[in-house]
Amino acid sequence: MLELKDIYGGYDKITILNGTSFKVPRASITTMIGPNGAGKSTVFRAIFGLLNIRSGQILFDGQDVTRHTPKQMINHGVTYVPQGRNVIPQLSVWHNLEMGGVTARDQSKVRARMETVMDQFPMLREYKNRKAIELSGGQQQQLEIARSLLLDPKLILIDEPSIGLSPNLVQDVFVTLQRLRDQGVTILMVEQNAKAALAISDYGLVLELGQTQMHDDASKLLNDPKVGQLFLGGHFHEEEGAA
Amino acid sequence: MSEFIQIIVSGLSAGSIYALAAVGFTLLWQASQTINFAQGEFVMLPAFFVLGAMGLGAPMWLAIAVALGLSVLLLGAAFKKLIVEPMLPHGTLPLIIATIALGLLMKESVKEFYSAQGQPFPPIFPTEVVRVFGAAISVADIMNLAVSFAAILTLQLFLQRTRTGRCMQATAQNRGVAEILGVNVKRMVMYTFLINAALAAIASILITPIYLAKFSNGETLGLVAFIAAIVGGFNQIRGALVGGLLIGVIDNLSAFYVSSEYRAAAPLILLIVIIMVRPQGIMGTSEGRTV
Ligand SMILES: Nc1ncnc2c1ncn2[C@@H]1O[C@H](COP(=O)(O)OP(=O)(O)O)[C@@H](O)[C@H]1O
Ligand SMILES: [Mg+2]
Repeated sequence: MLELKDIYGGYDKITILNGTSFKVPRASITTMIGPNGAGKSTVFRAIFGLLNIRSGQILFDGQDVTRHTPKQMINHGVTYVPQGRNVIPQLSVWHNLEMGGVTARDQSKVRARMETVMDQFPMLREYKNRKAIELSGGQQQQLEIARSLLLDPKLILIDEPSIGLSPNLVQDVFVTLQRLRDQGVTILMVEQNAKAALAISDYGLVLELGQTQMHDDASKLLNDPKVGQLFLGGHFHEEEGAA
Repeated sequence: MSEFIQIIVSGLSAGSIYALAAVGFTLLWQASQTINFAQGEFVMLPAFFVLGAMGLGAPMWLAIAVALGLSVLLLGAAFKKLIVEPMLPHGTLPLIIATIALGLLMKESVKEFYSAQGQPFPPIFPTEVVRVFGAAISVADIMNLAVSFAAILTLQLFLQRTRTGRCMQATAQNRGVAEILGVNVKRMVMYTFLINAALAAIASILITPIYLAKFSNGETLGLVAFIAAIVGGFNQIRGALVGGLLIGVIDNLSAFYVSSEYRAAAPLILLIVIIMVRPQGIMGTSEGRTV
């Protein structure tokens, strides 16, 4: 459903992606792991039209979407939940949710969709009139995921959803992602919490220096001694927030 | 006592006009990190649009409409396109310098091409006074207050109750996220510039009858708007409103009870006190931007 073909790109003169290539099959969870600074977040920015791509091609549903703007990507059915906390702090939970459907022509459909999404995340209904900044970290993460569902996306790009969450909340997020996958949504996730993420994923890929080093069934990566040594030794300790 | 009431009312009246300029100032800062040091001139100039249009024979109401339109076009759209957009990529400081230069250019142009003398500006409201508790309150003061409050209230309702307004808030509070959600960020920033220009034009039309229309009017107005915005916390419309009102009142009180020689110092003293006591502003929270 999503395919990156030999993507080169980066920031100003620095090249971060050095021929990144991989495919993400429909209705699956793919987890991307790799050392800090490998370019995982940059891959997401490239897909979502936020990076200067020098060469290569991105295909979505067979269509060339290379260098399409965020708005175009949303219209194709892709949403992006970036690393770190990404709510609109002073808007209410309800209005944050509404923002997820801001590109829709038919706003009455957005209303209906907001109700459906709040059924999936009852916490949001309870706190719908609170300012988003007043929610806890875990609640904000739920709000961001809920917001990304507003337009019924086909593909969700989600970057390190577990950062700053307690293990219980991480499991909640993963269960949510599995439920979405079972409903037919495709998920591409970046996670430092590699063991737990691969355990709920269908596929895993390892990115190093902007190149795909390994790409296989998640279970195979989980049992691969080299991956185990490099990435599965527990959590990576790194600073939060830097997108 | 009646004297005191008069001073307070006319202070609030002037203050509410300062607040219009301060609110615009705050909006520009939030939406695009533009510190507009030409804001005072933005308030000085539209009065000359009115005079220019009336000079060509337009009736007052038409001249005001023309001035509003020209302001939105020149001080809003053209300012954004021709000055802010090219300068912003180079950083905040070059942009600040550019706005200072623009202010000087506007001032000197009015002096050169219109007049160096203060021009009488027709009153837009009846010049009557009404008696309230023995105090003589000018109708114009009441109307100024009413129009300014109506403008700021309308703006608040627009920002909170319409989807476009919320997109503007999203852009101001977290631009990266707004972009990722598909908000047309550039357009929202442009709206902010148009709104600032409209607020400046309203302020101009309200305040100029109090003085005369003069090229140098922006000097104090810009400073006062800037101080009102800082006093209010720099990030809040409500803060800018309170800041403006406070400065208007303090300014009038000090002119009357201390000396009009020192009245220009009053806002500066207020600024220093606020910076020492509440650096985040009167209404500001340390956590950041709020509309
Ligand atoms: N906006 C930026 N400008 C310049 N360099 C950046 C920017 N964002 C990230 N980088 C650099 O790109 C590299 C890859 O970053 P990133 O994709 O965030 O890595 P990861 O998500 O794998 O930890 C890092 O070396 C980082 O310093
Ligand atoms: Mg990252």
